[in-house]
Amino acid sequence: MRWQDDLQFYSMHFMPYVHLPPDQEKYDSLWVDFSNKHYDPEKGHQLYQRYFRELVLADELGYDGLVVNEHHNTEYSMMPVCTAAAAALIPMTRRAKICVFGVPVNFVMPNRLAEEYAMLDVMSGGRLEIAFPLGTGMEYWSNSVVNPASARAKFRESIDIMIQAWTEDGPTTYDGEFYNYRYLNVWPRPYQKPYPRCYIVGTGSPETIAFAAERGWGYASVFVPISQQVKTFKAMREMMPKHGHEMTPAKAMANTIVYVAETNEIAEKEALEHIKYYFTVAARTTPRYLAPPGYISLDQFRIRAGTATKMHGGFDWDEMTKNWRVAVGTPERVAEKIAAWCEEADSSRVICHHHIGDMPHWKVVKNMTMFAEEVIPRLRPREKQVSTLKAQLSPQ
Amino acid sequence: MNVNGADIVLFTGGAGEPLVFLHGAGTVSGFNFSASWAQRFKVYLPYHPGFGESADSAAIASIDDYVLHYLELLDHLELDEVRLVGLSLGGWIAARLAAQNSHRLKKLVLVGPAGLRVPEHPTTDIFRLKPGELPSYLVQDPGVLAPYVPDPQSPDFLDFLVNDYHEMSSFARLAWERPYDPDLAKWLHRIDVPTLLLYGDKDRITPAPQSKTWAGLIPNAVVRIVKDAGHLVLDEKEEARKAVLDFIS
Repeated sequence: MRWQDDLQFYSMHFMPYVHLPPDQEKYDSLWVDFSNKHYDPEKGHQLYQRYFRELVLADELGYDGLVVNEHHNTEYSMMPVCTAAAAALIPMTRRAKICVFGVPVNFVMPNRLAEEYAMLDVMSGGRLEIAFPLGTGMEYWSNSVVNPASARAKFRESIDIMIQAWTEDGPTTYDGEFYNYRYLNVWPRPYQKPYPRCYIVGTGSPETIAFAAERGWGYASVFVPISQQVKTFKAMREMMPKHGHEMTPAKAMANTIVYVAETNEIAEKEALEHIKYYFTVAARTTPRYLAPPGYISLDQFRIRAGTATKMHGGFDWDEMTKNWRVAVGTPERVAEKIAAWCEEADSSRVICHHHIGDMPHWKVVKNMTMFAEEVIPRLRPREKQVSTLKAQLSPQ
Repeated sequence: MNVNGADIVLFTGGAGEPLVFLHGAGTVSGFNFSASWAQRFKVYLPYHPGFGESADSAAIASIDDYVLHYLELLDHLELDEVRLVGLSLGGWIAARLAAQNSHRLKKLVLVGPAGLRVPEHPTTDIFRLKPGELPSYLVQDPGVLAPYVPDPQSPDFLDFLVNDYHEMSSFARLAWERPYDPDLAKWLHRIDVPTLLLYGDKDRITPAPQSKTWAGLIPNAVVRIVKDAGHLVLDEKEEARKAVLDFIS
């Protein structure tokens, strides 16, 4: 099977702030306008210490990538500057790719982001992978100096600028609708040639799918049901050849929530409350914040009206296991589910959320370890396991 | 009709000298208030590109684009000596058009106009309002808007939401960064036609005390403040509709 040839597992962390006030239920949204008076920096410091240890463990256990991403004005994530988290991870880890999935480029200057990513790539000796999110609707309220109505056009132009900065010898000029560069000449240049592996992150809107297909990049879906993700990859398989690219399993990111334990009952008992917390508390926001004016097309607005809130405040376990990649149970059960999803989506890149919602450290360690030791070997062909082991044992 | 590439919907009614009305950022309450004006004037009621029944136009993305669009519409209709009435966003466009091209106008009426920065009485940033809050900012009497808002359970409600999102998206292109034009005050002295500034005293979007700043900048301006009315004073009070008619007649 094609997807099995190059199967890789990434461990993703949101680094949420979990010490919420007991009356948190009274807030419609824990994004954008949820007051930062609820943030205690000392507790935040302890959480950072712990969360970084969890990602270091993922590296030690042999995960192929460590994924961080960025959100603003929310308890959902303590990484408003996710390149800082990535920089911290580089000297703490040895072999895993550092996956910054990623900075919404509209909130920074494109030359600046080209520099940051090039730094990370050079510092890590070419371990960087990058995903480009447009940024959720909520980020456009939180960073409201940026106009959501021109966000998509600005996003495309910014990425153009970054690619030009990485692929052409500087100095070059860039004359665009949003930016005019007289001396585009970023130092350092990326370690990887021509530049690190890139993905687009999106909710599967036709605009972002077309954009990824044009460039031949991978796609990572967030907050959309499996059926829609599969449709996204299918559309990319059809579109990529028109642009001279091939859609490979490595370009289809499968986002999963996993929890592994000794029995299905134990796994459900240990994981469910945290998965519920993730959807009903951490991700809770309002339709208005999800769709600032001009952020999506009217057709998309019509489709999404009424459905998006299910992901950002609602919780129905049966629906969830049907529509989302949630695998909770014994290693056998979790491996079976992942194999089926990879087969269905022809995907060889599995992003695992081992830390979920307000999960305590011991469960994360247990989950991450059992997944590495008992799920991954069930999915990977034997020869691949041997080469991974060798890589782990080889002296630096 | 098509105005240099922009597909717009324009309603007309009545007979007489031309009166052009420029609507605000939300068009849900329609144009019923203009019925009495049509008894004495030929009334032109265009939807701005990107609002109401008019299509989006990629070329029209700034206040000045709208100003030039309306100059083209006046050319197209061969209208001069126009009575120009603008409400809220429409008042912003009308004031800017008048500052640049006063000679096309006979009289100007600005009803709760947006566009001016008045730090002591700031314009409400409507992007900061929650959906349920908006009506109480628009009108003093919620009953005035009720007939235009479909029941949330009815099939029309989604269309209502989509139209609202469309208009807010078009408005965001113009005013997301700030709900005013920092340069407008510099040029209002160029408006050399009689100007009426009309407000509801309970206007919670463009507070009535803003009228003093406007009147201090426009040479030949009078202020009329109508009691017990909000931002949509034309919908709320016959007295306001009549004040417009009296002023432009």
